[in-house]
Amino acid sequence: MRSRQLVAGLVLAAAFVAVSIQNWAGNDLSLKAIEQLLVFALPLAGIYALAATGLVVVYSTTGVFNFAQGAIGMLAAFVYWQLKVQWGWSTWIAVTVTVFVLAPLFGILLERAVMRHLAGQDLVIQLMVTVGLLLGFVGIAVTIWDPNVGHSVPAFFPEQGFQIAGVVLTWHRFIALCVALALVVGLRFLLYSTRAGIAMRAVVDNRSLAALNGVSAQQVSMFAWALGSSLAALAGVLIANETDMSALGSLTLATLVPAFAAAAVGRMRSLPLTYLGALVLALLQQFASLFLSFGGRWAQVPNRIPEIMLFAVLLMRPAANLRFARLTATRRHARVAKPRSAAAGLVVLVFAIALVGTLLSSANLARLDEGIGLALVALSLVPLTGWAGQVSFAPLAFAGVGAAAFAHWGGTQGHPWALLFGALAAAPVGAVLSLIAGRLQGLYLGLATFAFAYFTGDVILNQPFAFNGQSLTTPRPTWFGISFNSDRAYLVLLSIAFALVAFLLVALRNSAWGRRLVAMRDSEAAAATVGVNLFETKIAVFALSAAIAGLGGGFLAMFYGHTASNAFDALVGLALVLQIVVGGVALVTGAVFAGVFRLPIQILQDHWDSKWIRGLQQIAPGFAALGIIQSPDGAVVAIADGFAPLIPGRTSERAERAKRTRERRAAARAREAKIPQLGLTEPFTAETIGEIERRLGIASELAAGRR
Amino acid sequence: MSRLAVSDVSVRFGGLLAVDGANFSVESGSVIGLIGPNGAGKTTLFNVITGLQTPSAGSVTLDDRDLRRAKPYKRARLGIARTFQRLEAFGSLTVRENVLVAAEMRKRWATTRYDAGIVADKILARVGITALAEARCEQLPTGSARLVELARALAVDPRILLLDEPSSGLDEDETDALGALLVALARDGLGVLLVEHDMPLVMTTCDYIHVLDFGRVIAQGTPTQVQTDAEVQRAYLGSKATM
Repeated sequence: MRSRQLVAGLVLAAAFVAVSIQNWAGNDLSLKAIEQLLVFALPLAGIYALAATGLVVVYSTTGVFNFAQGAIGMLAAFVYWQLKVQWGWSTWIAVTVTVFVLAPLFGILLERAVMRHLAGQDLVIQLMVTVGLLLGFVGIAVTIWDPNVGHSVPAFFPEQGFQIAGVVLTWHRFIALCVALALVVGLRFLLYSTRAGIAMRAVVDNRSLAALNGVSAQQVSMFAWALGSSLAALAGVLIANETDMSALGSLTLATLVPAFAAAAVGRMRSLPLTYLGALVLALLQQFASLFLSFGGRWAQVPNRIPEIMLFAVLLMRPAANLRFARLTATRRHARVAKPRSAAAGLVVLVFAIALVGTLLSSANLARLDEGIGLALVALSLVPLTGWAGQVSFAPLAFAGVGAAAFAHWGGTQGHPWALLFGALAAAPVGAVLSLIAGRLQGLYLGLATFAFAYFTGDVILNQPFAFNGQSLTTPRPTWFGISFNSDRAYLVLLSIAFALVAFLLVALRNSAWGRRLVAMRDSEAAAATVGVNLFETKIAVFALSAAIAGLGGGFLAMFYGHTASNAFDALVGLALVLQIVVGGVALVTGAVFAGVFRLPIQILQDHWDSKWIRGLQQIAPGFAALGIIQSPDGAVVAIADGFAPLIPGRTSERAERAKRTRERRAAARAREAKIPQLGLTEPFTAETIGEIERRLGIASELAAGRR
Repeated sequence: MSRLAVSDVSVRFGGLLAVDGANFSVESGSVIGLIGPNGAGKTTLFNVITGLQTPSAGSVTLDDRDLRRAKPYKRARLGIARTFQRLEAFGSLTVRENVLVAAEMRKRWATTRYDAGIVADKILARVGITALAEARCEQLPTGSARLVELARALAVDPRILLLDEPSSGLDEDETDALGALLVALARDGLGVLLVEHDMPLVMTTCDYIHVLDFGRVIAQGTPTQVQTDAEVQRAYLGSKATM
């Protein structure tokens, strides 16, 4: 595989040179300019390295990849602002309290309350809980610190610094660089010369062996979270001065995606390589801002350099080995619906949605419309993540591709077949993503789709063949003489479309192909050894998923009427993925849950407006994710389970489990009671032996052999 | 007649030579035993044969066709099926669905048309797990789940069947039944390669046995020959043990 990596490296280098020549801003590449580049890039690299180190320390010791890393940094930046600016504390006390007291405590709290329960869970659950925390923390910050009021954190020693190569290196940046360098030395000392560090390395190497040798994995895990959280806070406080704090999302992502890219270079383990990754990324970013100029359709490229680098680094990874089944038993109780009962359920659903639609105010009706449109997009994850077990953060990006194709190929005139074109356009994009990233597995696949979603949302969808940075008119249709222009009529159309796609999916799950997808999720190795071509199957399921999302994109475009690329923002997409996992990603009803999850909060807000209710819109989905630790099958299953005793002929899973346990105990008692009667007090007869053989299902060959 | 041949296969994990120039073959209609202490390289050899592990050296051929470039799913389609030592049943599917997945896959390259459902039911009956058909695999005890894996492997209608400790988790009667089934399968023309720690089972079912230790085949022969082989007794059973 070395030659493959070499080729990939050469292609990337060639692409870099070509892009540089194409977009050269005209500055001379002199020695002085390069010195300037270094002066700007090194401190930035230091901040990225801090954030990435936190990520790596936590991932390698606990196995949890923390999407909330950037959000912890963001929260820390605001806490620092509160202490320093609002309450007027001195800089050093504010920094110390934020980074060395509050952040570690917060990390320990997170570990005790949440992360400890994630060990051994499904990857999708692990990822989604931290994604949930990311969104929840952003929600909390928005609620406490109103983003419309300016918050800015002053630099350490503002306006001061010293000159190198004709540019001023501020003390703030110099400190960032020094802290990062000190951290290298400090971590080296920690990991190799202290008891805690050696215990951490032992846990990284072999958790169970370390436990047998008296290392408390829980203590190590707590320590890792405290350290990781502290590093996130340090990175957050340092970068707050460099970014706009009112854009909370971008402040969160300012350290998160670079940390992902740097950690990916270090393969989530190696700290020196992680530092190298941080340095390369900072150099690339500063190079682009000093020497290149991107305009027009490529204007967003400089902002997406971390995503591009993350994607490229992931692609250079060698192909993953086939996945064996996980040792931990996944608790999956969700019944697989048969097509007939699903059809009945979906008809009821369409009527129910239509009925609810008549009861809602016009504002809420529009929200429900959008919710069902999003539910249709969320359906795309049911076969992909729910059945095939492939992590994807990109459903809304595929919806964007579908919407653009829809608008270009007849959607602006309201042609019905344009919807089909939307789906057909998205499918090959999904197939290509799978073709490129399909060698990756689990977390790495998830990160690649995450990078892809951001890049697509900001760059691809703004190309002339897509939205071209404008909004396109995508009116609601009139089909067969029926106008679907009103929100109410469109709601019916949307729910029928949802029901049709959902029905097809249920039928698919009951088909040979559906079983094959689940088999692949449960054990890739076993699936391959019964003849399943995993590569082909993954491409097919990615294409199917993208097509469903693309169809949903067309419907969403018609709902909006005027559609631009920002309707398919990656952070919104992340929330949608989170909501369907919370609802139940293996179920079509989970998609309904994902679509309408926020509606009750929105209605609540209409009646009782307060900043906390508003904040709840973001906080609620985030913290709802904590529920999937308890019920990994999702809220729909948990809710249905709760209602099950009320439905005649159905018992709840919990009741069934209790019943099974009772039966097992009774059977054990009966067996014990029978022992004296069998063999001990009276000898076995030929009849008894025959009966035992029959009960045990011993094959006739053996019985014949005995005789 | 089919013949699976393993020639001079070595597998190196870093500094550890897990398999060291292993040579043996399996032919249709016979049960071949592969025994050896834990860590002798048996499972690694299975992974090499099924394509889950690339060997450092040597080759695997099926009917003189070199399998080096064949991916795991290709090897399955050529007629090699296996079970796993650490359970790899499809946990969230039912027992019948586990077998059905394989039977349905098999239709892709089968020359005759058939109903996968009927085939699955027949195989469940033959392995003796019809009663469990609708149970979800993750809820089964180990022994039953191993039988599910066996049934699933049979559903791809293999020519060569690799079984990795199929009897662990089974009680004595179930093990006897398994032994009888293996003999019957071989009589029907299947080549079986059996990795097993249950010596009575190995000795009663196998036609020929290879003994592996530290990645090398240290002895081979009929059950009687192997039982009396001095080196086997030393390396595998300890000097004082008897079989």
